[in-house]
Amino acid sequence: MEKDIVDYALEYARGKDIEYAEVRAQNQKLEQLMLKNGILEAFLSSVNSGFCVRILAEGGIGFASTNKWTKDEAKAVVDLAYRFAKAARRKDKILFAEEKAVETTWKVEQKKKIEDVDSETKIKQFLDVDKALTSHTVNVPARVFECDIHLTEKYFANTEGSRISSFVPKIAAFGFITVVEQGKSEQAFEQFGYSGGWEAFDGWQITEKLIHDANVLKEVITKAKAVKPGPMDLVCGSEVTGIAAHESCGHPMEADRILGREMSQAGRSFIYKGGSFWMGTRIGSDVVTIVDDPTVEHSYGYYKYDDEGIKARRRHLYKNGIINEFLHNRETAAKLGTRSNASSRAVNYDREAIVRMANTFVLPGDMTEEELIEDVKNGVYMVSFMEWNIDDKRFNQRYVGREAYLIENGELKHPVARPVIETTTLKFWSAVDAVSKDLKFDAATCGKGDPMQGIPVYTGGPSIRLRDVYVK
Amino acid sequence: MSDVLNQTEEIVKKAKSLGADEVIAKTTFGKYRQSRFSNNEIDTTVAWNDYVTDITLSWKKRVVATQVRNFQNVDGQLKQLFEIAKVSKENPMFGGFAKGKFKYALSSADRKVAELEEPSEYIFEAIEAAKREAGQDINSGGILFTKFEDVYLASSEGPLGVDSRSAIEFSIRVFSQREASGHSVECSSTLNGFNPSRAGMEAGEIAKLAKNPKVGDEGIYDVVLAPLFAGSMLGMWASMVSAFNVMIQLSIFVNKLGQKVSSEIVTIKDDPGPYAVSHRVFDDEGVRTRENVFIDHGILKTYLHNTSTAKIFKAETTGNAGLVVPSPWNVEMGIGNISKDELFKETRRGLYLTNTWYTRFQNYVKGDFSTIPRDGIFLIENGEIKQSLKDLRLSDNALNLLNNIAGISKERKHVHWWGEAHPPSLAPYLLIKNVHMTKSK
Repeated sequence: MEKDIVDYALEYARGKDIEYAEVRAQNQKLEQLMLKNGILEAFLSSVNSGFCVRILAEGGIGFASTNKWTKDEAKAVVDLAYRFAKAARRKDKILFAEEKAVETTWKVEQKKKIEDVDSETKIKQFLDVDKALTSHTVNVPARVFECDIHLTEKYFANTEGSRISSFVPKIAAFGFITVVEQGKSEQAFEQFGYSGGWEAFDGWQITEKLIHDANVLKEVITKAKAVKPGPMDLVCGSEVTGIAAHESCGHPMEADRILGREMSQAGRSFIYKGGSFWMGTRIGSDVVTIVDDPTVEHSYGYYKYDDEGIKARRRHLYKNGIINEFLHNRETAAKLGTRSNASSRAVNYDREAIVRMANTFVLPGDMTEEELIEDVKNGVYMVSFMEWNIDDKRFNQRYVGREAYLIENGELKHPVARPVIETTTLKFWSAVDAVSKDLKFDAATCGKGDPMQGIPVYTGGPSIRLRDVYVK
Repeated sequence: MSDVLNQTEEIVKKAKSLGADEVIAKTTFGKYRQSRFSNNEIDTTVAWNDYVTDITLSWKKRVVATQVRNFQNVDGQLKQLFEIAKVSKENPMFGGFAKGKFKYALSSADRKVAELEEPSEYIFEAIEAAKREAGQDINSGGILFTKFEDVYLASSEGPLGVDSRSAIEFSIRVFSQREASGHSVECSSTLNGFNPSRAGMEAGEIAKLAKNPKVGDEGIYDVVLAPLFAGSMLGMWASMVSAFNVMIQLSIFVNKLGQKVSSEIVTIKDDPGPYAVSHRVFDDEGVRTRENVFIDHGILKTYLHNTSTAKIFKAETTGNAGLVVPSPWNVEMGIGNISKDELFKETRRGLYLTNTWYTRFQNYVKGDFSTIPRDGIFLIENGEIKQSLKDLRLSDNALNLLNNIAGISKERKHVHWWGEAHPPSLAPYLLIKNVHMTKSK
């Protein structure tokens, strides 16, 4: 990391007629391996390094980046960003919410340093997962695994005096399996993610989880029955709770979406000023509190300072069923008269930082999962999902169960084949009457931005019970 | 320019001298610009330049890859690559890289695209065009994207080539009311004939028509898909023709070669022709790209291959490498025999769907999936648009849709939008019978 080039670019930008400038530099070591049906397809190892300049001038924003580390190139990208900012010719001038300058260094600790684990070991551990699956009794003819490792060093500097250096190792794994029994197939996808060292691998228990999935898929093929469509109770396991929290709470609470900045891609929000839903409006029952928290140690979405240099903290999005706090960067915060809550993230130095979630989850309650189920006369327990989607105002959503069971008189019965809940955000969260105390997380890659920026997040929560919802 | 090709070749020679069996190096000098706008104003303009060489080599059937930037630290990266190769595992399915010399078509890339540093006027013109259609109170957003890449490829197995690739893409979504919107795109490989106002006008037309939507009813409908929606479906089907996706069962086309997979009026091919925003004269192995008809009058004719997947399937490469995953470049649906207007006339009671997003599968082999129509959704009665609708979901099966295609328009449009209508395509209006629509309860 050539910090002198960063400082040079910033000083050069300061010499122009600007309101604000920042330089974000990144040096990222990447390793990626892919196994297809027990064969290592390829192993990629590379270093990606460069920096960007973002300038606010005449109320417009310009952004330019390069992977050439020279002073001439630094001048060129500053000139370009400055020219872009002025070319916007905005009537409604962009402002940034005020923030104090920060000078700090932070990093994520590794118990077992990734740099010390050789490539052979990494490959072997994934081959072992594959071997365990193929020697299992269930027929899993198609298996794909991928492991992505990013060791990311960043240096952030702005014209307000912030200077932040950081180092974050992130490791992710993906598995996709197809089970075939009796000539029929079912599929499952699993993702794992962690900020930290190679200790992640043991913690994930990939083999156990995928063997469980294989068993479940076999049961779905051989034993599952369709649910009789109609109103019933639905107990969502943490995976389903988590995706619902992410899709129908996290996304609609992104202030850039609320203000329309993502309108032609990820869309807008059912929450908007003058509409039926705004700050203080009820959106769920009072047992529903959903937070987004980048500070969960070693989480996949972990960060201590965001990509605008703002210190991260927990955000209470829906609080006791009430719309409470949006996710903000400095631009949206200024627009809505508040302060940034450190939600600005970019996937790389060559992408603009935009408003993103980190780890979005339902806060746990005080019941056990068994207690949730015991009190259901007729319903479905949806442990996990396969198909899901939501409309671009984040109101009409659908989750299709992968592992699911019928509940009769408080007891789990046979597996249910692909139960579907297709409902609105308001109905979903209003129907929750009980929340269990067991908080679990799943790793995910959240898509947003143009060009697309897939960013690491956790989704999660405890199990929740929905009363009298339509399941088909 | 030839200096860059020489440097790229030098990497290949160096890797060979270090003991690699086969090597491919591809250097891309890319210049990308994007202006984003919303609320009728430009939010930001971003530029990113990338100078990167992708190196992939095989050593005793172990395949390893890296990237170098600006030709810096090539020796160090190659050394590390060999260290990884030595502890890596053999890939018995690796079929080598393409062999031989290829004669490539001359690139028709437009260098003027790279000189378009301040594209604001295009955006303002398109917004004005939308306002003329849907009124001064509209709210619009979108992007203008330009790309210019110089690509230099050298392979130890023979291929050696230079390509230039240009593209300009405009996307605009127009809201006439909070829940009434239209979306359109304008995509071209050159500035010739590029007219973003046309997209502004179309998005405005749809947005105006979409005013005062009512919640639609669940049921089974005949649907007319506009090219943007059809482009999403073409991208979905074409990605499933990648031989790699077939092997990992991310495809409805597993074990279906030679079988009927769609109605007889359907012919779909992949062809990164000169007009396409994904235009290229060679693939990532240096094989000359070409037209590949993969569905011919309803019959699945081929998967899309690189050299390795082709050997596995006892076929020839189709010029679609991806060194690991073969990919479609630009999907074309064969031209239909009726006009768009006739397509509507044939629809007694149905839906007109202009765009979609968030397509997700329950099971890729079976093809059960859903996708969420957005922007204009319209009820058609007796061939005419009767009512704007909202809040419907298409919940059906990817094979059923192919088999139920009953009409294809003569009019086609080159579309590419975000990750949804991707890869780019030449898409018509489609009439599909008996499509299941669902909604929230």
